[in-house]
Amino acid sequence: MPLKTLKKDTADALTLEWILQVKNYKLILDRKRCVGCQICTVACPKEAIKTLKQPKIEGSKALKAKVDIDLSKCNFCGICDVTCPFGAIKVNLNGKHDLAVLTKESYPQLVKDIAVDTKVCPKDCVACESTCPLALIKVSKVGFDGKPVEDLSDLTPNEKKRVQITVDVQKENCPTCKVCEVKCPANAIKIKKTFQGKTTVNQQKCPDGCHDCLDVCPITGALELGEDKKVHVDETSCIFCGACKNVCPVEDALVVKRTKVAHSPVHSGTWNKALEKITSLEDASKELEAQAAHNRLVVIEKRFQAEALKTEDYR
Amino acid sequence: MSTTPAKPEDLRVGVFVCHCGLNIAGTVDVHAVAEYARTIPDVVFVKENRYTCADPGQEEIRKAIRDQKLNRVVIAACSPRMHEPTFRRTVSEAGLNPFLYEMANIREFASWCHQNDPAAATERAKDSVRMAVAKARLMQPLQTIEVPVTNKALIIGGGIAGMNAALDLAEQGFKVFMLENSQSIGGHMAALDKTFPTLDCSICIEGPKMVDCARHPNIKIFANSNLIKVDGYIGNFKAKIRKNPRYVIPEKCTGCGECKDACPIEYPNEWDMNLGTRKAISVPFDQTVPLIYSINRDYCIECFKCTEVCGERQAIDFNQKAEEVDLEVGAIIVSTGFDVYEPYDMPLLGYGKYPNVITSMEFERLILAAGPTGGKVIRQSDGQKPHRIAFIQCVGSRDKQHYPYCSNFCCMYTLKHVVQLKEKYKEDVEVYVFYMDIRSPGKGYEEFYDRARERGVNFIRGRVSRIDEDPATHNLTVHSEDSLLGQPIEVEADMVVLATAAVPKKGSDEIARILNLSRDANGFFMEAHPKLKPMDAPTDGVFFAGACAGLKDIPYSVSQGSGAASRAATVISKTKWKIEPIISIVDESKCKKCGVCVDKCPYGAIRQDEGKPAQIITASCHGCGTCVAECPQHAITQMHFTDAQIMAQIRAALQDKPEEKILAILCNWCSYAGADLAGISRFDYPASVRAIRVMCSGRVAREFVLEALRLGAGMVLVGACHLPYDCHYISGNYKMKDRTDALKNMLTKLGMSPERFRVEYVSAAEGIRYAEVIKEIDEQRKALGKEKIQAENAKLKPILENMLKRK
Repeated sequence: MPLKTLKKDTADALTLEWILQVKNYKLILDRKRCVGCQICTVACPKEAIKTLKQPKIEGSKALKAKVDIDLSKCNFCGICDVTCPFGAIKVNLNGKHDLAVLTKESYPQLVKDIAVDTKVCPKDCVACESTCPLALIKVSKVGFDGKPVEDLSDLTPNEKKRVQITVDVQKENCPTCKVCEVKCPANAIKIKKTFQGKTTVNQQKCPDGCHDCLDVCPITGALELGEDKKVHVDETSCIFCGACKNVCPVEDALVVKRTKVAHSPVHSGTWNKALEKITSLEDASKELEAQAAHNRLVVIEKRFQAEALKTEDYR
Repeated sequence: MSTTPAKPEDLRVGVFVCHCGLNIAGTVDVHAVAEYARTIPDVVFVKENRYTCADPGQEEIRKAIRDQKLNRVVIAACSPRMHEPTFRRTVSEAGLNPFLYEMANIREFASWCHQNDPAAATERAKDSVRMAVAKARLMQPLQTIEVPVTNKALIIGGGIAGMNAALDLAEQGFKVFMLENSQSIGGHMAALDKTFPTLDCSICIEGPKMVDCARHPNIKIFANSNLIKVDGYIGNFKAKIRKNPRYVIPEKCTGCGECKDACPIEYPNEWDMNLGTRKAISVPFDQTVPLIYSINRDYCIECFKCTEVCGERQAIDFNQKAEEVDLEVGAIIVSTGFDVYEPYDMPLLGYGKYPNVITSMEFERLILAAGPTGGKVIRQSDGQKPHRIAFIQCVGSRDKQHYPYCSNFCCMYTLKHVVQLKEKYKEDVEVYVFYMDIRSPGKGYEEFYDRARERGVNFIRGRVSRIDEDPATHNLTVHSEDSLLGQPIEVEADMVVLATAAVPKKGSDEIARILNLSRDANGFFMEAHPKLKPMDAPTDGVFFAGACAGLKDIPYSVSQGSGAASRAATVISKTKWKIEPIISIVDESKCKKCGVCVDKCPYGAIRQDEGKPAQIITASCHGCGTCVAECPQHAITQMHFTDAQIMAQIRAALQDKPEEKILAILCNWCSYAGADLAGISRFDYPASVRAIRVMCSGRVAREFVLEALRLGAGMVLVGACHLPYDCHYISGNYKMKDRTDALKNMLTKLGMSPERFRVEYVSAAEGIRYAEVIKEIDEQRKALGKEKIQAENAKLKPILENMLKRK
């Protein structure tokens, strides 16, 4: 059969497909998980993705921006899959999620540093599960006999002590907002943000009482409408995705800047370009400089038998 | 050599009247003709000869030219188609330019065809001499044009035909440039698994040829390149080609393939009929020649992993730009091949909808061991082997709604496919072939058909009306008619293979435009003559090989490759190319830059750049004169057949009793030859006809007809080659037809009896027909009567004078 290229757009998902004789490339964008942030749009090396602002109906909530992908430009590389902080895009080859851009090191893995020390978890605590704005955490308890435990009230204190807690985090969909870390009463969670940056609201330009950005922000609490009828940002939980910026009705009222992206080490032209577009030219050059300096040091160390150089002067 | 144009006072015309034994003297009173010739103004010398063409006769002419200081010669003898070249030589040996001599045909055109009326024959002979002198007065000396020849050839298209032509020419010692627009030479044959009827592995036999081309010191391959422009003419073509960027430096790439392994991106491989993929940096197939990788920037994400792994070889250059190269060649061979029709617009067959309906080319890629499935014939829907396969022939071919022609090789390649299937899967596969006819004419082809039948393949003679699909299993039902049983038939199949039409290659219209080549109704290139010049393009110096000029299989394409090489060698083996000076020239001061001549020239020999006067490429001009007749400004002149010369002949012809005359203007190659044949065959016809020779009926300008009528001619006849294919200058007769149809309309509206102006198509073999046509016209003339004709002419005269005055 000749090559069949398909595009299906429903409320639930956007599906793109290349059907060849023995290969089937599929891209599925989960519209429920997608927040309309635009990170895929800037990361795409073929500029195949567009994020379109949706018209707002007076009186109802603002709608998140809609993502559209051009089938004629998409090459199913999967970079959008890797970069999406919410894991809303999945690219498969013959049903398998083996992305060549990762195995061939043309693109890094985004690092989602999420560590949960379940040993310090209070036995009947489900704070993380209940506070996660994206419902990605599931706390499960297993008794000493290996069977799952629901209610701890009818256990003896000894049995209670031996209950094991497992906290399952859907890492691929977690944007590292740190709400769970903040809300955890036992400091059991340690998260390093994948994206670092700065979100600022220009108080003069922000229209009074407008809450469009709040409507689309996926992280409850990251944005708040204060008593002064202006929006305020909680930088701890903001993930700098930029979904808010896409719906803000006033230009420059809301500025979202990403400065760093946590990623596995990689040496790739595509990543350099993507980083520049995700963050900015200055931030990308800083990373390249840092990497270059590091490389230089490694080379010098190797060459001159490092020991002698391990003084403070040279570091 | 007296080359300066003679002033009227200086004209010294010599007339030589031949007896030709009794051939002329038997009917025509030669002496009377000679006596009459003496009375014609400007004639200073007249001689009768027994046999002018014999040595003594020729010596007399030479002697007379020298002694009498003749500067124009008229020989009244046989047909110029017989002895014009002979006497041209005689005349130039005497020191006179060979184009200052004219022949009066008094044998085929007087003596032999009016044997029953010697007096009338003699009158006609006298008139012929007068007409010849009238033309001779206005003749100018002309030189044969010689152009230098570049001894190199350009071959456009690197398939099996083009490669063969290249190797043949290279072996003869000529430098050859091969131009191929895809990334590898080899063409369609390189994509095939096996070839019929020998079942040779296709790439195994073609691969060595491809490598030969790459290695041959006389061949330079420009792959991944396009033809931009071609200027010039035979022996002197200047071609501009653009080398499209591969982003890989050819000199540095070793073809190791490490970049391909490092590349993360793949995309559908067109060379694989989009069944498989290729990496963003790759070669289209493993045996690519030249073995240089290319990056497809549409898919590449510029991760530079390829550059990294290429390392020190540094063969990758993302900044590579397209490069233009100028080539000078003497001959061009066009061998651009064909494309495969994909029947998306035949919805009843389900191609593109049903996953298990494929084309033959796709099947070829499946069964090929180096293909995307490793040689396993499997269905797209479930990856399972099909047990029942149906082949449908003539999909799109022999179809008035798609392509009316037969695609030549589909019957044979389907036979090959079914033999391959049966030999591979034996009883495990049931094979059906739905056909209209099985065309297996070549050497070993019918035996191959036997082989297929012996293997138990089911041949069903019937057209397929519809294919249905079961949406659950994706199995197909083929609805057809078994016409030999006279019953409808339904066959359930796991896979259906469509033998689709072969169509002209995409981009051949560009080549046609650049080289000024005509294409037939189906889009294939048109050769100069389908029977006798199948490899010549009408444009001199351009030749065809392979499927681009008409679909053909591999042996035929290979033969044509060698044939085209030979044709090209006849040009590029010479140091100089001679061009007869009977060509047309534009008077730039009169040219109004309308571009009509560019359009009408059958050879595309005229160029008219924006805002500049038209220019005729001398070496491409064949001398038909169509442009001369078409030019609204009368800005073009054809050497040796000028308007003035022909008008002079018309006036001379109609000097006495014009209303009793039939003025015939005949084209050299068909109608004049047919008239000659009438004489040779001694078919008698009325002697009222006066004939004027032009090279092509396309030369016949409206003014000739108008002037003839103005001078009081009784009947006017224009003789031409038969439509559609007989015109020696391809389409001069068509242009004449358009012109004369309109002219006839106008004249009849102005009051001329319609039978008085006639266009007749007479071939060189139709002597008797010519005689009958003249008889018929003469009867009509008599029926109209002298008075009526004179009356009509008198009425027309003032209108015609007005029209002609404007010139």
